[in-house]
Amino acid sequence: MYSIELKAVTKSFNGHIAVKNLSLKVPEKSIYGFIGPNGSGKTTTIRMIMNILYPDHGEIRLFGKKRTGSCLDRVGYLPEERGLYKKMKVKDLLKFHAELKNGNNISKEINYWLERLALEKWANQRVETLSKGMTQKLQFITTIIDHPEIIILDEPFSGLDPVNAEVIKSSILELRSQGSTVIFSTHDMHMAELMCDYIFMIYQGEKVLDGTLESIQDKYGSDTIRIQSELGMESIKDIQGIETINDYGQMQEIRYSKDTDTQKILAELMKRTKIKKFEITRPSLHDIFIRIARPTEIEKENA
Amino acid sequence: MRKILILTKREYIAAVRTKSFIIALLIAPIFMGGSLIVFALFKDKVEVSDKNLVVIDHTGKVAESLLSAAEFRNKNEIWDTVSGKQIKPAYHIQILEPNAENPVQQKMELSNQVRNKHIHAFMEIGPDIIHPGENPDMSRLKYYSENSLMDEIRGWFTLPVNEQIRKIRIEELNLENDSIQELFLWHNVEGLGLIKVDERTGIVEDAKQSSIVDAFLIPYVLVLLMFLMTMMTAVPLLSAVSEEKVERIAEVILGSASPFQFMAGKIIGSVGVSLTVGMVYIVGGVFTLSYLGYEHLVPMDVLPWFFIYMILNVIMIGAFMAALGSAANDIKDAQNMQFPAMLPILFPLFVMMPILKEPLSAFSTSISLVPIWTPMLMVMRQSTTVTIPLWQPILGLIGVLLFTILSVWLSGRLFRICILLQGKRPKISTLMSYAMKG
Repeated sequence: MYSIELKAVTKSFNGHIAVKNLSLKVPEKSIYGFIGPNGSGKTTTIRMIMNILYPDHGEIRLFGKKRTGSCLDRVGYLPEERGLYKKMKVKDLLKFHAELKNGNNISKEINYWLERLALEKWANQRVETLSKGMTQKLQFITTIIDHPEIIILDEPFSGLDPVNAEVIKSSILELRSQGSTVIFSTHDMHMAELMCDYIFMIYQGEKVLDGTLESIQDKYGSDTIRIQSELGMESIKDIQGIETINDYGQMQEIRYSKDTDTQKILAELMKRTKIKKFEITRPSLHDIFIRIARPTEIEKENA
Repeated sequence: MRKILILTKREYIAAVRTKSFIIALLIAPIFMGGSLIVFALFKDKVEVSDKNLVVIDHTGKVAESLLSAAEFRNKNEIWDTVSGKQIKPAYHIQILEPNAENPVQQKMELSNQVRNKHIHAFMEIGPDIIHPGENPDMSRLKYYSENSLMDEIRGWFTLPVNEQIRKIRIEELNLENDSIQELFLWHNVEGLGLIKVDERTGIVEDAKQSSIVDAFLIPYVLVLLMFLMTMMTAVPLLSAVSEEKVERIAEVILGSASPFQFMAGKIIGSVGVSLTVGMVYIVGGVFTLSYLGYEHLVPMDVLPWFFIYMILNVIMIGAFMAALGSAANDIKDAQNMQFPAMLPILFPLFVMMPILKEPLSAFSTSISLVPIWTPMLMVMRQSTTVTIPLWQPILGLIGVLLFTILSVWLSGRLFRICILLQGKRPKISTLMSYAMKG
């Protein structure tokens, strides 16, 4: 059973195709990560699912049925750009959003989530008195206050400090464990790797990745080595068989060509420096993202 | 419908719970009738310092009477009879012989004295004032001051001067003043309403005297009230919607409600606010008039029409304003749009006088049937003392209803598209296309 199904959906704005022939199936109770560079079509896809934008072609189904107004009451949506009525009191605002979604046990849920996200002291304060981080958390609560069956979060972690990001992350996992299906878009590849059951990448309006992290990594094979050495980046330069190097300062991630013998790379490195770590691994989501989204030489020339 | 009601409730509470709403509720009528109130409050606060006046009398016969008139006034008319306090300035008149050789020089010197505040004003009595000849310039009364149009003294001079001229003419004719007093009796034509039968008692009621209150004040107040409520509730939707668009609140709401529900919630919220304001003013007004014994001034037969038209007016204008607000790219855009958008609402105020003067004219009838102006102008015509044929308000109502439906439908289409458009300043042609094609 799928919570959301997109069938050959296309959307264009003034001749520019934002989403092209996109098909997607989001299984029930899964966490589905939407990744892609800025302007690739993530938000447009989400807005079409929410019926805020209408697709030019294709079909979108929720809960296995054609989408209706009452279907959307079972979906919580956190837009990328946050917006709350600043003059309203926190509790009144949550009540308003819960009522809009036809929520039950509103007071109980409001108290639970305010406490869960450490906002209970601010319950009777106006939204405009909250800090940015607190506002972000409040916006998250407005999205999930009625316990929706589908939760769509557009960049839920942007602008949050690690502590608050952790709180939101655990809340998302809690909601999933209670039966909600979660879709979130993010630029945080590490978070996507850790949290998502499925990852979908859209690039220039087209689907370029869709599946579990493992299946995606399998597709790209084990062509990556993570190295930690005393000399760092200096020791890796000009070694035969290395195609690209990602320098993270304390660690370097290299991609080697198919026919290269990794033992030879290790031997060469050992001649040059003292090796602390040499790990042959599959490419990270970050690396895969860069490989897809990095402009090609032709695009660079045309730019 | 449930979502519309929830959104309406939020809009209504957000509007009426603010201090600014309470303040506006109190201040708005003061602003609207401000000049009248200020005039009433300060009418007794006049400058009471002495006024030195100079009169150049080319006849040599008229000015003397002004001295006694001023003396009488200074003794009897400038003091409050109860407190004995001076409430008006005293007039001190000096009569100057005309300078026959250089009259311009004389008036120049007097003008300079006025500028230097040595005297307040001077008056020149023309040589032919008693028996006007062919040259009208010789028989004029000329009053020179820095603000002669508004100066009360100019008006005061009129009566004693004319009485003296009349007296001289009577004396020249050798007539007895007392025997010809009836010659100067003047009769005005009284304005009366129509005779009618009291529906309850069946008794024929005598016609009532027409007053400025019936003919002008009641229509004026009702139109101003509707204008005030449109300005307080429908017009602010433009900036409110654009603000919610800019602050991205709109997208959050659209995650839970359709654009039409969102817009409808805002408009119906405004209707609620305008009904609240209307009830406060109308009920307050009716209660006050009844308390003061003027309940006959309340146009009870017009009030239901007033509320029906007011609701439709707020919906019609509110939908239009919400659509414009959704098209605004930022707050500055919204501010720029506000004035041109308000012009059609202001129009009925410009045509008030010709319509009040002739409520049944072809101009008044046709213009009050233009849907966007019908609410204000039809109520204005209905509240005059003239009977408007019943088909006119009914036809007007049908027109307004249809136009309101069209306005909401077009605005809804525009709103749905524009509310999510960011960074684009749509042209009028684009907006028209959005509204027509959806």
